[in-house]
This record gives sequence, structure tokens and C-alpha cells, in this order.
Amino acid sequence: MLPFASSGSKVTPRHHVSGYSNGYPRGNTFELSPHRFQPRLNATPAGRRRRRFYLRLAIFTTLGCLGLYFLLSGSSIWSLFSLGLLSGAEDIQLETVRYYDLSNVQGTARGWEREERILLCVPLRDAEPHLPMFFSHLRNFTYPHHLIDLAFLVSDSKDRTLEVLVENLEAIQASENENAHYGEISIIEKDFGQKVNQDVESRHGFAAQASRRKLMAQARNWLLSAALRPYHSWVYWRDVDVETAPFTILEDLMRHNKDVIVPNVWRPLPDWLGGEQPYDLNSWQESETALALADTLDEDAVIVEGYAEYATWRPHLAYLRDPYGDPDMEMEIDGVGGVSILAKAKVFRSGVHFPAFSFQKHAETEGFGKMSRRMGYSVVGLPHYTIWHLYEPSIDDIKHMEEMEQDRLRREQEEKDKAEKAKKIKEQFGDANSQWEKDKSELQNLAAQDKSPKGDEAPADGSKGKAGTEPDIKKGAEAVANKEAVKKDEGAQAQQPNKQS
Amino acid sequence: MARPLGPVRLKKANPITILVGTVLCIFIIYFLASPGSRGFSKARKLTAASHSLSPPTSPFLKSNSKGKPSPPPVTRYNLNHVTISSDPVAHRENILILTPMARFYQEYWDNLMKLTYPHELITLGFILPKNKEGNAATAALQQQIAKTQKSAPEKDRFKSIIILRQDFDPPLQSQDESERHKMQNQKERRAAMSKARNSLLFTTLGPSTSWVLWLDADIVETPVNLIQDLAAHDKAVIAPNCFQRYYNKESQKEDDRPYDFNNWQDSGKAQELASKMGPDDILLEGYAEMATYRALMAYMYTPGADPHTEVPLDGVGGTALLVKADVHRDGAMFPAFPFYHLIETEGFAKMTKRLGYQPMGLPNYKIYHYNE
Repeated sequence: MLPFASSGSKVTPRHHVSGYSNGYPRGNTFELSPHRFQPRLNATPAGRRRRRFYLRLAIFTTLGCLGLYFLLSGSSIWSLFSLGLLSGAEDIQLETVRYYDLSNVQGTARGWEREERILLCVPLRDAEPHLPMFFSHLRNFTYPHHLIDLAFLVSDSKDRTLEVLVENLEAIQASENENAHYGEISIIEKDFGQKVNQDVESRHGFAAQASRRKLMAQARNWLLSAALRPYHSWVYWRDVDVETAPFTILEDLMRHNKDVIVPNVWRPLPDWLGGEQPYDLNSWQESETALALADTLDEDAVIVEGYAEYATWRPHLAYLRDPYGDPDMEMEIDGVGGVSILAKAKVFRSGVHFPAFSFQKHAETEGFGKMSRRMGYSVVGLPHYTIWHLYEPSIDDIKHMEEMEQDRLRREQEEKDKAEKAKKIKEQFGDANSQWEKDKSELQNLAAQDKSPKGDEAPADGSKGKAGTEPDIKKGAEAVANKEAVKKDEGAQAQQPNKQS
Repeated sequence: MARPLGPVRLKKANPITILVGTVLCIFIIYFLASPGSRGFSKARKLTAASHSLSPPTSPFLKSNSKGKPSPPPVTRYNLNHVTISSDPVAHRENILILTPMARFYQEYWDNLMKLTYPHELITLGFILPKNKEGNAATAALQQQIAKTQKSAPEKDRFKSIIILRQDFDPPLQSQDESERHKMQNQKERRAAMSKARNSLLFTTLGPSTSWVLWLDADIVETPVNLIQDLAAHDKAVIAPNCFQRYYNKESQKEDDRPYDFNNWQDSGKAQELASKMGPDDILLEGYAEMATYRALMAYMYTPGADPHTEVPLDGVGGTALLVKADVHRDGAMFPAFPFYHLIETEGFAKMTKRLGYQPMGLPNYKIYHYNE
């Protein structure tokens, strides 16, 4: 088909009927400046001036408005000149919305491979002397440090706990070695106004236990609620006064994949006290006796372990230790001790905490164990996996140690005296011998002198005494007297040190 | 075509062209300066955390620059300085509004936006189940959040917002089954609810919160000064009275009726019932087969009476509840197990009492629940 013949041809005619021959359309269009004469609106100079004035007014108003806008909005005018490329707003943005899926933070047996974050909680109070030891543990954890968030609660401390803590932590975060850096580090300061002293004697006195444990529980809850985040899979509670613990403790406990797990806690003792001793008696299995006892007690009473007042006959984790036992052996427990607890974060998320009131007649960590069991979580202790608590001698121990020290000193002194006496006696005997020798030789000389003039009388030894004559006997008496005087002096000297001690 | 040499005579511009040009210029200037205005002001940035590992109650500065991230700083929080007072606005006290959400109601969000408490002191926390309904609610919620936090005027934007998804499945709720094991189902449902509340609470509380406001997702109408009004009472735990608006067919007009029956004062009868129960049984309110004869706050409402009248309570409901953060920090939580035969919010009230606090109620201060 030929294009010319078709009625729907796309070929446009060169000369459009609707247009003028000069190419301009025939009016009535959107053309802004139509080609016809338009008289000037403000032809007069006065009108032109007025127009200029209005224009300037408009420009100044616009500039004024812009300036005002910048002043009010507080944004920097600098971004105008830098075209917004250099402004800080481009670089740093404020993120106000956070989204977390809690099913991603359940906690598994191999958390370090799945990058599971641990919250390490440490309650502190007047703990300055223990901090160097604690930081030596902290630096050595084998669990990836960037996955560990640290939270400390410093309460009612009168020493330099806070300052030393901050210094040490900042040193860690500033260290060259990137692997040493920890995750989030929060230091919570809160004073509860605790009346109870923190020294060993008042800490473990029976009467103070209930209120002390409730205060401790309160402190732990404050620490946890301020530091637990939606991205934590595990929570590890650690006391600052642990002396010896494996560096792999986090992985070791995690491998068991239990909701709550504690190791056995012992403490080393001086040899005279037996060398070692179970320390943490708060990890136990419930007993019928204790349950019966609990029923008889007041609603606010708190059963505490390790005191004769409450005989519970519970099997304690601590006493079941066998130094050669399998460290992976597990034991179901009902109460837990707080020295070193690894728990899944979901336990705390679901509401389990350290009761600061009497929960089933228990408070703090033991109440925590009880509540975990109540919620159906597994609570497990490792009887043969042991960490060692610092040995702090009690006042009795200190007294005993002082006595022992005195005993030891006395014994040493006695031994020394004895040795000296023996030496002196020996010396004196030595003198006597030599004297005797001298006497003997003198006698012999005398005898020899006697012999030479008299001749035949010499061989008779028995006649020596008789022949010794007066002067010899006198000499002997003198010697004996001398000897006794010396002996008296020595005795006086020897007795003096004894009196002094 | 060649033009004769000499100065170009500019064609006189049309006023419309000038106008369009000016408007364009203003737009360009506005957008050059705007990154600051679309983001947050300096004052808000100063209070933000410097690292993403930080309490979720504060926003954090997100750096886009490539480079090695610096290790998180050592941060000190002095909780001795966190005040909890009857005038929280003057003391700039941070409040955490926590909402377990199963379904998103636009009215809830609108009501939230209307609260007059300074929004830069409000952190919102939500927890949603991981099922189909929860996903839909999350999507709707996130849409509203994006709208508010990105494009609303800065005074309307909240300090920070946390969205959590539950790590456990909500108990199945079949209507037929619930007819048969109604009370048993109720226990499981409320145990799951407790876990959701506790998960939300303990992961978001953080070190700077002064107040926690529990607000259910189906509360669609409250006085705009809700937070200030409740805080003014300076009580450890305080609950307003929750009503529901409905169309009264008898009187042929809009009316309201009591809704939340978990705010109550204990009765001797209820104590007696509890003493006969097994350790895993719970007392429930509002069942004919378990008449407790407790004094319900829902029925204590007196029209026209002083809205600030206080009554002590032994059990509280969770529809709206203002709690001092210290009470939660001491360990008061929502028991997911029978605690003195009580569970969830009622168990919470009991636990606060065990910790030495007294929950209070405002029978004449009304808030409204959604009506389907």
C-alpha cells in the first residue's frame, strides 16, 4: 500500500492550514508574550520607581524571613554555603526506633559461635582491694570480649571502688589490642543506705542475714533492670572476690545449655585449718525437713543455710565435691549461690528475679533458684567443677592465727634457748676437758719433776694423788669454784630472754 | 543568524517567570538547609547515646561514615539523681509507656499523640506476638511510627521507640474450647501475658526512667493530661478507672459502662476461697462459679465526684497503670505463676505489697476501652 493513499498517514503537511505563513500559531494559545503591541503598565517614571520599591521590599522580606527561619530552626546557615555536603547532619543521624526479635536471643550451647551476647553483672560495695584480682580475671576470659557487656553496681562505697573501677575499664577500652575491648560498659551508682556492715563477721552473723539478703537482692535487681537489654542471650553473675576460676568458665557453663547453672564454690584455707573448705552453701537441693520447717515459719521469715538455727538437712552442692570427679556431672538444685551464676536471659525476661521479700521463705539468690523452679526452668549445679573464693579470715580465725603465731614464736624461742644451752654446756664441758688436760699435763710435769730428783718413785701412778701434795689440791678446788661461778652466770643469761618473751 | 555586536538587550522577563524562579530558589535554599530540620535539633542530639549498645530508652547517634567503629565508652549512670516527683514535667522526668499489643488501633495511636506530656521525655515500648495478627499489627504500628518520627514536627516526636517481638507463641485460643475450660484457659492466657509484660519491662527499663505507664493497646481515649494527673498523686502504683463507651439500646443514647474488673479490694470470702486452694490454683474475678465478693473499683464510680479521690487497692488491672520505676527496679513484676493464688497484674499488686508498697486507685478518673 502506498503511504499517500492512506487516510491515516503520519506524514504531516508542510503548510498547516491553521497556522500563519510566518510560523506563529493563530492566537489563543499559552504563549506568554504574544506578538502584538502591549502598552507598558508603568510607563511613567513614578510608576517604575514604585515598582522597583516593591521589588526591593519583596527581596528584603524574603531574606528577612529566611534569616528568621534559620535563627528559629536552629540549623546551621553553614549548610547553605557548603551545599549541605559538609554538614554534620549528613554524617550522624539520630536513630530513635529500635526493633528486636526476642526469638533470636534464646541462648544456645555454643553461644560464642552464634555471637550471643552475655551481660556480666557485678555488684560492688567497698571492693577496692579485690578489684585488681577481678580485672586479672576479666582480661583473661576466653569468650569473645566484644560479645560481653559489663554492668557494675557501686553502692554505698566509702573507698575508691568507683575511681579504680573506671580507671581500669577505661584502660581496657583504650587498649591497642582490639580483642581486649568489651561491649557496652555501664556503671550504675545507687546508694541504698545499708546499715549492715560489710565486714566478714557482720556479714555472716545469723541475726543480720534476712535483712542483709533482702538488701542484696534489691541491689541485684536494680543492677539487672538497668542493664538488661533486648539483645542479651545470657546473664552471668559474678562476685568480685573470686580468687581462682578457669578462664573458660563462660563456655564451660554454657555448654550444658541449662537455664540456670552454677559451679561449686570452695575456698582455700591455711594448712592448720585443713587446706580447703566448701564456701557457698546456698546451692542446695530441697529437703522434706526444710519444707516442713518453712511451713512453721512466719510469712516474712527467711531460711538461711549454714546456721545451726535452721537445721534443714539439705544436700549441699559444696559437700558433694570430689576433686577427681567428672567436672561435667550435673546435679539438680533448688537454691543457688550468687558467687557465679550463668543464666539464660530469657529467665530474667520472663520475670524471675532476686526476691527482696520472703519468697517461699527464701530471699536473694536462693529465692531466685526457687522462683526459677516455680517457672519451670532447669536449675543445675556442677559438684565437681570448682572455682575458688578468696579466703578472708574471720575474727575467730584471726584470733586463732594470732595465738598460733605466738605459739610458733615461743616454740622457736624455746628451741633456740635449748640449742644455746646445749652449746654453752658443750663449751663448758669443752673448757673442763681442756682444764683437765692442762691439769693433767701439769700434774704429769710435776710428776716428771718429782721423778727426776727422786728417780725410783716415778712409775707408780697410784701414788700420784698422794704425791700431788698440797698446792695441787688447792688448785683443783679453785678450778671447781670457778666452774660453778661461770655456770651461775650462764644460767642467769639464759633465763632472761624467756622472761622477756 | 548573526547578531550585531553590543550589549545584549535582555528581553523583559515576564512576572510569572520571575515568580516561578523565586519559588524555585526558595525551594532549593530550603532543601539545602533542610537536613537539619528533617533530623533532630541539637538539644535532642546532646541527650542521645553515642553508641548503638546503649539503653534503648535513649536514641543513639548513628554514624554513616565508614571506618573502624570505636569501642563502646565506659558510661556512668547515677541512679541517686533520677528523681520521681509529683511534678514530673518540671523535673524533666523520663517516662516509659509500655504496651503489649496484639492488634493495632488507630485510635490508640491518635490518643497517644494527643498526650500533653513533653514527647521528648516519652519512650514507647511495644511487644507483639509473632503470628499473623502480630505481623499485621507490627506493620501498621511501624507505619505510624515512621510517619511520626520522620516527618512530624519535632515536638510530636517521641524520645525513642522500642519494638519487641515475643519469643514464645501465644496460647491457642479457640472459642469452643474456651467454653469448656474457660478458667484453665484464662490462667494460660494470663501467664503468657505476664511473660510478655515482663520481657518488655526488664529489657527496656534502663537507668534513666522515672515512671512506667502501662497502657493497653485497646485504650482509645484518656484525658490528655493523663500522665501529669496520675503522677501528681505521687503514689507507687496508681490505676485510673477503665470504662467502655457503647450505645445503650434501652435509653437510646451513647453511654459508658465499667470495663476493667481487676481493680479490687480484697474480701474475707476471697481469702477463705484462696486458703482452700491448691498451690497452682488461681482466683479469678468475674466468674459466677467463683464468687469472691471483692469490692470492685469499677463500681465505685460516682458521677460528678472529685476525680482525684483515692482508694487503696489489693488487685490492679493492666489497662492503664502508672508505676514508679523504683517499684519495678526493686523486683515487682507480673507473676506468670500463681502468686498467692493471683496471676499477672493482680499478682503484681500482691508483689508490690510484699515489697512494702501500697497500690492506689482513682475510681472517678475515667479512661475508655475500645468497643468492637
